[in-house]
Amino acid sequence: MPADPKERTSAPEAARSEIGFSDAERKLKAYLTALWRLHPVMRAAISAPGQSPPRRVTFDGGYIRVPQTYADVQGCGVEPIFRAALAHVAAHLTFTRARWQIGTLKPLQIALVSLIEDARVEALAIREYPGLNRLWAPFHVAEPTGALVAEMLMARLARGLFDPAYRDQDPWVSKGRTMFFDRRLEWENAAISREIGTLLGNDLGQMRIQFNAKTYVVEPAYRDDNAGLWDWSDTPPQEMEDTDVVIESFRVRRTEDESEPHQRRRSQDNDTGAGVAARERPIDADAGVPVARYFEWDYVLGRKHADWTTIVEFEPRRASTVGLDRLLSEYADVENRIRKLIRSTRVARPMRIRRRPEGERLDLDSCIRAAIEYRGGITPDPRVYETSEMRDRDLAVLVLLDASESTKEFVRNTTTTVLSVERAATALLAHAMEGLGDPFAIHAFCSNGRQEVRYYRVKDFNQPYGAAAVERLAGLRGGLSTRIGAALRHAHSEIRGQQAHRRLVLVITDGEPADIDVTDSKYLVEDARKAVQELGHDGIDVFCVGLDGGGDSYLTRIFGRRNAVQIDRIASLPDKLPALYLRLTG
Amino acid sequence: MQLDAYLITDEPYYRAIGDEVSLFEMAYASRMPMMLKGPTGCGKTRFIEHMAWRLRRPLVTVACHEDMTASDLVGRFLLDPSGTVWHDGPLTLAVRHGAICYLDEIVEARQDTTVVIHPLTDDRRILPLEKRNELVRAHPDFQLVISYNPGYQSVLKDLKESTKQRFGGVEFRYPDPAVEAEIVSHEAGIDFGLAERLVKIGQRSRNLKGHGLDEGASTRMLIQAGRLIAKGVALPAACDVALVLPITDDADIRDALSQAIAACA
Ligand SMILES: Nc1ncnc2c1ncn2[C@@H]1O[C@H](COP(=O)(O)OP(=O)(O)OP(=O)(O)O)[C@@H](O)[C@H]1O
Ligand SMILES: [Mg+2]
Repeated sequence: MPADPKERTSAPEAARSEIGFSDAERKLKAYLTALWRLHPVMRAAISAPGQSPPRRVTFDGGYIRVPQTYADVQGCGVEPIFRAALAHVAAHLTFTRARWQIGTLKPLQIALVSLIEDARVEALAIREYPGLNRLWAPFHVAEPTGALVAEMLMARLARGLFDPAYRDQDPWVSKGRTMFFDRRLEWENAAISREIGTLLGNDLGQMRIQFNAKTYVVEPAYRDDNAGLWDWSDTPPQEMEDTDVVIESFRVRRTEDESEPHQRRRSQDNDTGAGVAARERPIDADAGVPVARYFEWDYVLGRKHADWTTIVEFEPRRASTVGLDRLLSEYADVENRIRKLIRSTRVARPMRIRRRPEGERLDLDSCIRAAIEYRGGITPDPRVYETSEMRDRDLAVLVLLDASESTKEFVRNTTTTVLSVERAATALLAHAMEGLGDPFAIHAFCSNGRQEVRYYRVKDFNQPYGAAAVERLAGLRGGLSTRIGAALRHAHSEIRGQQAHRRLVLVITDGEPADIDVTDSKYLVEDARKAVQELGHDGIDVFCVGLDGGGDSYLTRIFGRRNAVQIDRIASLPDKLPALYLRLTG
Repeated sequence: MQLDAYLITDEPYYRAIGDEVSLFEMAYASRMPMMLKGPTGCGKTRFIEHMAWRLRRPLVTVACHEDMTASDLVGRFLLDPSGTVWHDGPLTLAVRHGAICYLDEIVEARQDTTVVIHPLTDDRRILPLEKRNELVRAHPDFQLVISYNPGYQSVLKDLKESTKQRFGGVEFRYPDPAVEAEIVSHEAGIDFGLAERLVKIGQRSRNLKGHGLDEGASTRMLIQAGRLIAKGVALPAACDVALVLPITDDADIRDALSQAIAACA
């Protein structure tokens, strides 16, 4: 049963280090995108213990598994075979429009229909991209001699269909070639592959030539194992038996593939998280230290409750950054772009510089002096212009992350949580801020009633954004509630000490303020609004990025219309956040 | 006339993509400020040159850049032996004498610079020269045209809403393959079949936009590759020089692009 490609897409990447394919993967992906606008998921195929590694590419929709190495291909370098293989799959993805039902076809017929189909899609691809001929040709090495066994004849036929100049006297090969080239005008139609392949299969059967489906491997080596051409799901069980071991072995392999993601998902959790214990007890309860108390604003009474909330600071657990790095690697493009944006962002305040030999304005004082000198018969000083220069950015930022329970939810259609997207976005943002040299802090919060507003310091202003900070970021876990006003007040006291010209608190939250001891949902919104106003009073800007599609009303209420944005597709946060930051501070 | 030097005497080759020529003529008839939107190298500059020639107006072009100040547009005082003298900037020249003023890549200029065009682009049609204490009324033939590349960099650099909303817009994109090949063939002086191949290559590179490239190869790049081929350079080498190397520093993407080009021919 073919697995849902979407589900597989989200499977963690295979360990790439062990494979020759990995070095070329990025190039190959871009190659497919350039030529066919395909964005397939490619993975190195992992062999099950005790089994020999897969020798051919296999694909299932846009999900492609590539052998780690091609043992049976010599002397043409690693990259060409991978490129040839993927170009072949791309030809299928472009021209093999639907999967075939197996029906009553015998294994040999299946293999031959696939062979004709390979030739057909390649012929069409070469029509569009003649250069592919040069790519595939070196792998067609069959010679018109040798034993009359099915595998060899099929390799010869494959060559004969690919290369019109190839000479082969074998009647069966010749017949196949004639049938194929006679129908040149019908190449667009996949049905001819089935027709020709079935006939050729019958002929071979009548010639009593043996075909061993168990050991059959498609030739030439760059071609895929054909599993992706057939619809295996509808094969009734009894037919299955007398159909093929080839198919059977596909199935075995497929089931293995399917079990893989689960296993690996588990191990991924282990290395992104701090182990199973941490997952069960989301928040490290032992190390909290109460550090401050703040009032809270009660909009019903119209007054403050003094000393109402307690901030308890926790040292965030450090966790391996493997998972975070992996997620970040998916955003490599974004990182590049950010780097570029940073380079072009020389955001600064203009400063006036006088007495310049050139400039855009006259410097009045120098002009007068020059005029006096001139009248007095002295050579006037030519430096009579003034100009503006940009002074460096002067900005401090505190990023305040919402780490409440709701951030543990999965982002739609993926296996990543809101919090891990927040983490990736924050990591990208941190790179941007580092790049710009802005002093910044990353803090996170959640709450467990007013007496326990938890506050995590992932990175402080005076700390470098180094390995330790990244580990703490990776170690953030979601849990509990969102008492945002109290957290904002604490952030306020943190950023107040910064000397920068501009100070910004950047809040990232995914839900409405809430806490276990509050029933009136408006209460915490109004309190948070108050906290934002207090910050504004001290000249500190607050900006909020909301990840809750429906959060418009309360976010606008808390932060003001101009100081909140909604991101409806959470997965795009890592893309949007740094850009947004640059715009905000530019 | 003052701006004779800015008159375009020979027809600049422009292959119309849609009804942009007649639309623009209509817009000029009411002196509507216009914005030409589109990716780099897709013919915006060529179009405005063609239009200026067609309308028989002088064309004053200003390439905007980050360090450009309002004085660069409007003018400034310079010193001479007897004191200071005022020099009109290019915008002022166009306003006084009735030219089409084309501000190329206006997003590159800082926003405090671009606001000087505001009074020119509403009903007032005036240009205040504050430093000189003068109010220049626009010549009846004057028209302001800006170009604007809505690429990803617009996250950072964007036109103010109040600026944008003063303009009518014409959108440019890379033309259909056959038309683009016609342009490439004409401009590079190569035969149509070869131009078609270059256009195909260009399109492959455009597939990589957002997947490794910020922007695919422009018509301009294809023309340049074509010119090299016309001089006798082989197609792969010409593409390498004119298109692959300049477009990105990312070795993987360059490799992918070279291989894709190899597949095309
Ligand atoms: N429709 C067209 N007709 C004629 N030539 C064209 C056309 N489109 C593009 N070109 C050619 O492409 C070249 C580049 O176009 P042009 O300089 O006008 O680009 P642009 O859009 O102004 O780019 P940029 O935004 O980088 O300034 C021109 O020199 C011209 O040769
Ligand atoms: Mg195949």
